[in-house]
Amino acid sequence: MRLNQSIVAANPFEKHLINRRRKKGKGMRSPQFTLMLTSMVDMFSMLVIFLLQTFSNTPEVSMLKGMQLPNSMTPSIVREAPVLAISRDGNLYLDQKLVGKTSDVSKKPDELLNKLNIIKKGWVSSHTSAFTGEINLQADREVESTTVSLVMGVLTASQFQSIQLAVIGK
Amino acid sequence: MSRRNGHGAKKELDFELNLTSLIDLLSTCTCFLLISAVWIQIGTVEIKQSHGTEAAAAAKDSFDLDLVFKSASDLHLQLKKDGKPVKGIDVKADTNEAMLIKLNEAIANQILNKDNKSKKMTIAVATVTPKSTVNYGQLVSTLDVLRKNQIVNIGVLTAKGQ
Repeated sequence: MRLNQSIVAANPFEKHLINRRRKKGKGMRSPQFTLMLTSMVDMFSMLVIFLLQTFSNTPEVSMLKGMQLPNSMTPSIVREAPVLAISRDGNLYLDQKLVGKTSDVSKKPDELLNKLNIIKKGWVSSHTSAFTGEINLQADREVESTTVSLVMGVLTASQFQSIQLAVIGK
Repeated sequence: MSRRNGHGAKKELDFELNLTSLIDLLSTCTCFLLISAVWIQIGTVEIKQSHGTEAAAAAKDSFDLDLVFKSASDLHLQLKKDGKPVKGIDVKADTNEAMLIKLNEAIANQILNKDNKSKKMTIAVATVTPKSTVNYGQLVSTLDVLRKNQIVNIGVLTAKGQ
Protein backbone atom coordinates (compact mmCIF):
# COMPACT_ATOMS: atom_id res chain seq x y z
CA MET A 1 0.00 0.00 0.00
CA ARG A 2 1.60 3.28 -1.10
CA LEU A 3 -0.10 6.28 0.39
CA ASN A 4 2.70 8.78 0.53
CA GLN A 5 3.65 8.40 -3.09
CA SER A 6 0.16 9.11 -4.38
CA ILE A 7 0.08 11.88 -6.93
CA VAL A 8 -2.84 14.15 -7.62
CA ALA A 9 -2.67 13.47 -11.37
CA ALA A 10 -4.72 10.36 -11.83
CA ASN A 11 -3.53 9.38 -15.26
CA PRO A 12 -0.73 6.72 -15.12
CA PHE A 13 1.00 8.33 -18.08
CA GLU A 14 1.09 11.69 -16.32
CA LYS A 15 2.46 9.94 -13.24
CA HIS A 16 5.19 8.44 -15.36
CA LEU A 17 6.07 11.86 -16.81
CA ILE A 18 6.22 13.44 -13.37
CA ASN A 19 8.43 10.66 -12.03
CA ARG A 20 10.75 10.97 -15.03
CA ARG A 21 10.99 14.73 -14.56
CA ARG A 22 11.73 14.20 -10.89
CA LYS A 23 14.56 11.80 -11.66
CA LYS A 24 16.04 14.06 -14.32
CA GLY A 25 16.12 17.43 -12.70
CA LYS A 26 17.10 17.03 -9.08
CA GLY A 27 16.80 20.36 -7.33
CA MET A 28 14.63 21.83 -10.03
CA ARG A 29 11.19 22.84 -8.90
CA SER A 30 8.45 20.89 -10.60
CA PRO A 31 5.38 22.79 -11.81
CA GLN A 32 3.26 19.83 -10.65
CA PHE A 33 2.83 19.54 -6.91
CA THR A 34 2.33 16.49 -4.78
CA LEU A 35 -0.01 16.34 -1.85
CA MET A 36 1.06 14.59 1.37
CA LEU A 37 -2.05 12.49 1.66
CA THR A 38 -1.01 10.53 4.76
CA SER A 39 -0.87 13.62 6.95
CA MET A 40 -4.05 14.98 5.41
CA VAL A 41 -5.97 11.77 6.05
CA ASP A 42 -4.50 11.67 9.57
CA MET A 43 -5.66 15.22 10.23
CA PHE A 44 -9.13 14.52 8.84
CA SER A 45 -9.51 11.37 10.91
CA MET A 46 -8.43 13.12 14.10
CA LEU A 47 -10.83 15.99 13.41
CA VAL A 48 -13.70 13.57 12.78
CA ILE A 49 -12.94 11.62 15.97
CA PHE A 50 -12.77 14.83 18.04
CA LEU A 51 -16.01 16.17 16.58
CA LEU A 52 -17.76 12.83 17.06
CA GLN A 53 -16.71 12.80 20.72
CA THR A 54 -18.02 16.31 21.31
CA PHE A 55 -21.21 15.65 19.35
CA SER A 56 -24.30 16.25 21.43
CA ASN A 57 -27.88 15.36 20.57
CA THR A 58 -29.51 17.52 23.25
CA PRO A 59 -32.30 19.76 21.99
CA GLU A 60 -31.28 23.15 20.70
CA VAL A 61 -32.21 25.99 23.03
CA SER A 62 -32.19 29.51 21.68
CA MET A 63 -30.38 32.10 23.78
CA LEU A 64 -30.74 35.86 23.89
CA LYS A 65 -27.85 37.89 22.50
CA GLY A 66 -25.52 39.16 25.21
CA MET A 67 -27.03 36.93 27.89
CA GLN A 68 -24.49 35.60 30.39
CA LEU A 69 -25.81 32.47 32.03
CA PRO A 70 -24.52 31.38 35.46
CA ASN A 71 -22.09 28.47 35.72
CA SER A 72 -23.00 25.20 37.37
CA MET A 73 -21.05 22.14 38.47
CA THR A 74 -24.10 19.88 38.47
CA PRO A 75 -26.05 20.57 35.30
CA SER A 76 -28.74 18.23 33.99
CA ILE A 77 -29.64 17.67 30.36
CA VAL A 78 -31.80 20.33 28.71
CA ARG A 79 -35.33 19.20 27.91
CA GLU A 80 -37.46 20.73 25.22
CA ALA A 81 -39.85 23.28 26.72
CA PRO A 82 -40.89 26.91 26.22
CA VAL A 83 -38.11 29.40 26.99
CA LEU A 84 -38.68 32.40 29.25
CA ALA A 85 -35.70 34.75 29.35
CA ILE A 86 -34.83 37.69 31.59
CA SER A 87 -32.17 39.92 30.07
CA ARG A 88 -29.69 42.08 31.99
CA ASP A 89 -31.69 45.22 31.14
CA GLY A 90 -34.78 43.74 32.81
CA ASN A 91 -36.77 42.78 29.72
CA LEU A 92 -38.76 39.57 29.70
CA TYR A 93 -38.94 37.41 26.59
CA LEU A 94 -41.13 34.38 25.96
CA ASP A 95 -39.74 32.22 23.14
CA GLN A 96 -37.61 35.15 21.92
CA LYS A 97 -40.62 37.51 21.81
CA LEU A 98 -40.65 40.53 24.10
CA VAL A 99 -43.34 40.45 26.76
CA GLY A 100 -42.34 43.61 28.62
CA LYS A 101 -40.27 44.88 31.52
CA THR A 102 -40.00 42.36 34.36
CA SER A 103 -41.01 44.98 36.93
CA ASP A 104 -44.20 45.75 34.95
CA VAL A 105 -44.99 42.10 34.28
CA SER A 106 -44.62 41.14 37.95
CA LYS A 107 -47.11 43.91 38.89
CA LYS A 108 -49.52 43.10 36.05
CA PRO A 109 -48.86 39.56 34.84
CA ASP A 110 -52.06 39.17 32.77
CA GLU A 111 -50.32 39.28 29.38
CA LEU A 112 -47.71 36.73 30.41
CA LEU A 113 -50.35 34.52 32.02
CA ASN A 114 -52.41 34.60 28.81
CA LYS A 115 -49.40 33.63 26.70
CA LEU A 116 -48.49 30.84 29.12
CA ASN A 117 -52.09 29.59 29.02
CA ILE A 118 -51.96 29.46 25.22
CA ILE A 119 -48.75 27.39 25.43
CA LYS A 120 -50.35 25.15 28.03
CA LYS A 121 -53.48 24.59 25.94
CA GLY A 122 -51.32 23.83 22.90
CA TRP A 123 -49.34 21.30 24.94
CA VAL A 124 -52.47 19.62 26.30
CA SER A 125 -54.05 19.35 22.83
CA SER A 126 -50.92 17.76 21.34
CA HIS A 127 -50.19 15.34 24.19
CA THR A 128 -52.22 12.53 25.71
CA SER A 129 -50.40 12.56 29.06
CA ALA A 130 -50.95 15.03 31.90
CA PHE A 131 -49.38 18.48 31.73
CA THR A 132 -45.83 18.33 33.09
CA GLY A 133 -45.45 22.07 33.67
CA GLU A 134 -41.90 22.20 32.36
CA ILE A 135 -40.38 25.51 31.34
CA ASN A 136 -36.83 26.71 30.66
CA LEU A 137 -35.95 29.88 32.51
CA GLN A 138 -32.92 31.81 31.32
CA ALA A 139 -31.68 34.80 33.26
CA ASP A 140 -28.51 36.83 33.18
CA ARG A 141 -26.22 36.08 36.13
CA GLU A 142 -26.26 39.77 37.19
CA VAL A 143 -30.05 39.96 37.49
CA GLU A 144 -31.38 40.28 41.06
CA SER A 145 -32.44 36.94 42.49
CA THR A 146 -35.70 38.45 43.74
CA THR A 147 -36.60 39.43 40.16
CA VAL A 148 -36.14 35.82 39.09
CA SER A 149 -38.18 34.59 42.04
CA LEU A 150 -41.01 37.00 41.12
CA VAL A 151 -41.11 35.53 37.62
CA MET A 152 -41.04 32.05 39.16
CA GLY A 153 -44.10 33.06 41.18
CA VAL A 154 -45.96 33.96 37.98
CA LEU A 155 -44.91 30.64 36.42
CA THR A 156 -46.06 28.67 39.46
CA ALA A 157 -49.41 30.48 39.35
CA SER A 158 -49.73 29.36 35.74
CA GLN A 159 -49.02 25.71 36.69
CA PHE A 160 -45.49 25.73 35.26
CA GLN A 161 -44.00 24.18 38.38
CA SER A 162 -41.04 22.32 36.97
CA ILE A 163 -38.72 25.20 36.21
CA GLN A 164 -35.41 24.43 34.54
CA LEU A 165 -32.88 27.15 35.17
CA ALA A 166 -30.52 27.39 32.21
CA VAL A 167 -26.86 27.24 33.20
CA ILE A 168 -23.51 26.76 31.53
CA GLY A 169 -21.99 23.42 32.42
CA LYS A 170 -18.36 23.58 33.57
CA MET B 1 6.61 -13.07 -3.96
CA SER B 2 4.13 -13.50 -6.70
CA ARG B 3 1.21 -15.69 -7.44
CA ARG B 4 0.11 -17.01 -10.75
CA ASN B 5 -3.48 -16.62 -11.77
CA GLY B 6 -5.41 -18.67 -14.29
CA HIS B 7 -4.00 -16.90 -17.36
CA GLY B 8 -0.44 -17.10 -16.23
CA ALA B 9 -0.01 -13.31 -15.65
CA LYS B 10 1.53 -12.13 -12.40
CA LYS B 11 -0.77 -10.34 -9.98
CA GLU B 12 0.80 -7.50 -8.06
CA LEU B 13 0.49 -7.71 -4.32
CA ASP B 14 1.43 -4.08 -3.77
CA PHE B 15 -2.01 -2.58 -4.24
CA GLU B 16 -3.02 1.08 -4.38
CA LEU B 17 -5.83 2.45 -2.29
CA ASN B 18 -8.30 4.81 -3.93
CA LEU B 19 -8.10 7.73 -1.56
CA THR B 20 -10.52 10.06 -3.36
CA SER B 21 -13.67 8.45 -1.93
CA LEU B 22 -12.07 8.21 1.53
CA ILE B 23 -11.17 11.91 1.53
CA ASP B 24 -14.66 12.77 0.23
CA LEU B 25 -16.24 10.83 3.06
CA LEU B 26 -13.99 12.38 5.69
CA SER B 27 -14.57 15.92 4.41
CA THR B 28 -18.35 15.43 4.34
CA CYS B 29 -18.21 14.00 7.87
CA THR B 30 -16.07 16.91 9.07
CA CYS B 31 -18.35 19.52 7.48
CA PHE B 32 -21.48 17.96 8.99
CA LEU B 33 -19.94 17.65 12.44
CA LEU B 34 -18.53 21.19 12.35
CA ILE B 35 -21.92 22.62 11.39
CA SER B 36 -23.83 20.62 14.00
CA ALA B 37 -21.23 21.06 16.76
CA VAL B 38 -22.41 22.60 20.04
CA TRP B 39 -19.76 24.97 21.32
CA ILE B 40 -21.59 26.20 24.43
CA GLN B 41 -22.79 23.33 26.59
CA ILE B 42 -26.05 24.50 28.16
CA GLY B 43 -27.43 22.50 31.07
CA THR B 44 -30.24 23.02 33.54
CA VAL B 45 -30.75 23.16 37.28
CA GLU B 46 -34.23 21.92 38.02
CA ILE B 47 -36.42 23.74 40.48
CA LYS B 48 -39.59 22.16 41.78
CA GLN B 49 -41.85 24.72 43.31
CA SER B 50 -42.81 22.26 46.00
CA HIS B 51 -46.06 23.71 47.33
CA GLY B 52 -48.89 21.54 46.11
CA THR B 53 -46.66 19.08 44.26
CA GLU B 54 -45.57 15.54 45.01
CA ALA B 55 -42.24 16.74 46.33
CA ALA B 56 -43.66 18.01 49.59
CA ALA B 57 -45.90 15.02 50.13
CA ALA B 58 -43.19 12.48 49.39
CA ALA B 59 -41.78 11.78 52.84
CA LYS B 60 -43.16 13.15 56.08
CA ASP B 61 -40.48 11.50 58.23
CA SER B 62 -37.63 13.26 56.54
CA PHE B 63 -36.36 16.76 57.21
CA ASP B 64 -36.86 20.02 55.37
CA LEU B 65 -34.18 22.65 54.99
CA ASP B 66 -34.74 26.40 54.70
CA LEU B 67 -31.98 28.65 53.40
CA VAL B 68 -32.52 32.35 53.97
CA PHE B 69 -30.17 34.87 52.37
CA LYS B 70 -29.27 37.84 54.57
CA SER B 71 -26.67 39.02 52.09
CA ALA B 72 -24.56 37.49 49.32
CA SER B 73 -22.07 36.19 51.88
CA ASP B 74 -24.41 35.56 54.80
CA LEU B 75 -26.89 32.70 54.87
CA HIS B 76 -29.06 31.22 57.58
CA LEU B 77 -29.88 27.51 57.48
CA GLN B 78 -32.89 26.15 59.32
CA LEU B 79 -33.42 22.43 59.60
CA LYS B 80 -37.06 21.48 60.17
CA LYS B 81 -39.01 18.35 60.93
CA ASP B 82 -42.79 18.39 60.49
CA GLY B 83 -42.59 22.16 60.20
CA LYS B 84 -40.85 22.56 63.57
CA PRO B 85 -37.31 23.99 63.73
CA VAL B 86 -34.70 21.44 64.79
CA LYS B 87 -31.43 23.19 64.19
CA GLY B 88 -30.29 26.61 62.97
CA ILE B 89 -26.88 27.35 61.46
CA ASP B 90 -25.44 30.68 60.35
CA VAL B 91 -23.04 30.50 57.44
CA LYS B 92 -21.08 33.71 57.06
CA ALA B 93 -17.87 34.63 55.23
CA ASP B 94 -16.15 37.61 53.64
CA THR B 95 -16.95 36.65 50.08
CA ASN B 96 -19.66 34.68 48.34
CA GLU B 97 -17.14 32.02 47.21
CA ALA B 98 -15.90 31.49 50.77
CA MET B 99 -19.49 31.32 51.99
CA LEU B 100 -20.28 28.59 49.45
CA ILE B 101 -17.34 26.50 50.70
CA LYS B 102 -18.56 26.93 54.29
CA LEU B 103 -22.10 26.09 53.22
CA ASN B 104 -20.92 22.88 51.60
CA GLU B 105 -19.10 21.89 54.80
CA ALA B 106 -22.08 22.84 56.99
CA ILE B 107 -24.51 20.77 54.92
CA ALA B 108 -22.17 17.78 54.71
CA ASN B 109 -20.99 17.75 58.36
CA GLN B 110 -23.62 19.49 60.48
CA ILE B 111 -26.82 18.60 58.65
CA LEU B 112 -26.52 15.38 56.62
CA ASN B 113 -24.29 13.73 59.27
CA LYS B 114 -26.03 15.45 62.20
CA ASP B 115 -26.21 12.42 64.50
CA ASN B 116 -22.91 10.87 63.32
CA LYS B 117 -24.80 7.79 62.20
CA SER B 118 -23.63 5.67 59.34
CA LYS B 119 -26.86 6.41 57.49
CA LYS B 120 -27.06 9.88 56.02
CA MET B 121 -30.06 12.05 56.72
CA THR B 122 -32.37 12.75 53.77
CA ILE B 123 -33.68 16.19 53.06
CA ALA B 124 -37.11 16.05 51.43
CA VAL B 125 -37.35 19.67 50.34
CA ALA B 126 -34.94 22.58 50.47
CA THR B 127 -36.44 26.05 50.18
CA VAL B 128 -34.28 29.03 49.30
CA THR B 129 -35.38 32.57 50.14
CA PRO B 130 -33.57 35.05 47.90
CA LYS B 131 -32.74 38.69 48.62
CA SER B 132 -32.41 41.69 46.30
CA THR B 133 -28.71 42.11 47.16
CA VAL B 134 -28.01 38.58 45.95
CA ASN B 135 -27.71 38.18 42.22
CA TYR B 136 -29.01 35.26 40.20
CA GLY B 137 -25.53 33.82 39.61
CA GLN B 138 -24.94 33.60 43.36
CA LEU B 139 -28.38 32.00 43.84
CA VAL B 140 -27.59 29.32 41.25
CA SER B 141 -24.20 28.66 42.92
CA THR B 142 -26.05 28.04 46.20
CA LEU B 143 -28.47 25.67 44.46
CA ASP B 144 -25.42 23.95 43.01
CA VAL B 145 -24.06 23.28 46.52
CA LEU B 146 -27.40 21.72 47.50
CA ARG B 147 -27.44 19.51 44.42
CA LYS B 148 -23.86 18.47 45.08
CA ASN B 149 -25.06 17.18 48.47
CA GLN B 150 -27.83 15.09 46.85
CA ILE B 151 -30.58 17.57 47.75
CA VAL B 152 -32.56 17.67 44.53
CA ASN B 153 -36.04 18.80 45.56
CA ILE B 154 -35.33 22.50 45.66
CA GLY B 155 -37.86 25.30 45.71
CA VAL B 156 -37.32 29.04 45.56
CA LEU B 157 -39.57 31.17 47.73
CA THR B 158 -41.15 34.00 45.78
CA ALA B 159 -41.79 37.51 47.12
CA LYS B 160 -45.39 36.67 47.94
CA GLY B 161 -44.25 33.67 49.94
CA GLN B 162 -45.55 31.12 47.42
